[in-house]
Amino acid sequence: MSIIEICDLTYSYNPHTSFEKKALDNISFTIEKGEFLGIVGTNGSGKSTLIQHFNGLLWPESGNIFVLGRNTRDKNYRDQLWKKVGLVFQFPEQQLFEATVFDELAYGLRNMGLNKQEIDTRVNEALENVGLDPEQLRTSSPFCLSGGMMRRVAVASILAMKQEILVLDEPTAGLDPEGSAHILQTIKKYQQENKVTVVLVSHCINELILLADRLVVLDNGKVGAWGSTRDVLAQDDLQHYDRLFPDYIRILFDLKKHGWKINTGMLTVEEAANELGRVLKGGG
Amino acid sequence: MRKLKLGGYIPGTSLIHQLDPRTKLLGGLAVIIAILVNDSWPVLLLNTLLIFAVIYLAKINMKSVLQGVKWLLILSILTLVFQCLFTKGDPLFNLGPVVVSKQGIYRGGTFFLRLLILYLSSSALTMTTSPMKMAGGLEALFAPLRYLGVPVNQFAMLLSISLRFVPTLIEEAETITRAQKSRGAPFTSPKKIVRLKTSLSVLIPLIVGSLQRATDLATAMESRCYTGGPNYSRVKNLHFGRKDQLALGIIVVICILPLVYFPGRI
Repeated sequence: MSIIEICDLTYSYNPHTSFEKKALDNISFTIEKGEFLGIVGTNGSGKSTLIQHFNGLLWPESGNIFVLGRNTRDKNYRDQLWKKVGLVFQFPEQQLFEATVFDELAYGLRNMGLNKQEIDTRVNEALENVGLDPEQLRTSSPFCLSGGMMRRVAVASILAMKQEILVLDEPTAGLDPEGSAHILQTIKKYQQENKVTVVLVSHCINELILLADRLVVLDNGKVGAWGSTRDVLAQDDLQHYDRLFPDYIRILFDLKKHGWKINTGMLTVEEAANELGRVLKGGG
Repeated sequence: MRKLKLGGYIPGTSLIHQLDPRTKLLGGLAVIIAILVNDSWPVLLLNTLLIFAVIYLAKINMKSVLQGVKWLLILSILTLVFQCLFTKGDPLFNLGPVVVSKQGIYRGGTFFLRLLILYLSSSALTMTTSPMKMAGGLEALFAPLRYLGVPVNQFAMLLSISLRFVPTLIEEAETITRAQKSRGAPFTSPKKIVRLKTSLSVLIPLIVGSLQRATDLATAMESRCYTGGPNYSRVKNLHFGRKDQLALGIIVVICILPLVYFPGRI
């Protein structure tokens, strides 16, 4: 069952003025229940604009988007959608505002109208999920934490709401490799344990290749490619996005460009090495 | 941002865009002074024509300018109604028990024209002058105050920095608002106190972010040897050319001279 269905979605900034800029152009694809979808694209390709359609912050200029089966053109539905779709913005640590980490996490839960006890358990659970010690942090101010810790608190504040769909906009931007890996592991674990649908946006495909079941490549507001990660990588017409890809896949792309009969749908370095070995042996 | 800010700078290469910011500032000032000290019909009409000519020459989309006039019109109709009701004078005609006087109509009309000119002249100025040029122009015009011990350069820097960061702050406020909406922030709650509390969820991160940015900016400026003195250089110096002389001449003829010929009430 499709949990999000996007049909011919088009969206422009400043419509009908001289500043009009088409951010999304005739986008169509579906997101299945329980899958891990990666959206990849360069800066300005419309990734952030697209995902704000998922929880009703934006709505299409033309075309439709159905979230959990209902059209987001319905304003009442749109306004309630935050309870079903969690959205972690880019640099979410810039949105922290409460006096303590506990209140920060509890903010969304209180807006959901949960009772005190439930809020208490969920806050603890979410903090543990992102690898923070609830006892130690509950009463400290979020502004006193390091950048990486603030990021984790911000992500936890969405995880605590336990929505059916979790959307994250470049959650690893600006973090060191260790911090990035930690956030990504947290998300994957959370998805598997809670059976939620996850949409992860990134300009760096490396982190999506192993995590995502399927990939959408956005290019200048259009869908450049869409399908299972392996299929997307195996496509022929991806070469003009190749700066997005990791080195070992770029090598395969290059060889293919030079006429080698090689399968570029390789997820890991080992797979790529095996494929190279196979082709070399066969005299490809 | 779905809506465009009224009066925001629209880049262009028109004649009006090319004028020196000082010319435009002085011109705008002349128009405003003219219509505020004098309310006779010829003066108001001349200035209205002048402003429309400027907007035409600036190649600004008339529609986008007139969007703002819509609100002005509502305000003006209200004032016109009140002026008609309460200004005593030669009766023109009766509307039931209300006597509409000549003076009432006249006052309402002039009030509308004055507002229109004020609005249009300031829009024409800000729409054709980039914030940086505007700050440069203001600095040059206020430069003589330096001899009175006023730190004109610092004020100009202050002004250009604030102008520079207005759009950034608006954008940031919008993003934070959306982020808090995603956590269910009740921005449209019927209770005023709830809405007030909710606005804090945007204000606090905004202030924290601004302070952080101010620190970064200060470091960046100091590392490029900014000391606040009057001797820093610009990439583009202001240039007062023949077009500017001509423009100022026209303004003197249209704005200042009629004041002498058509003395109106202040």
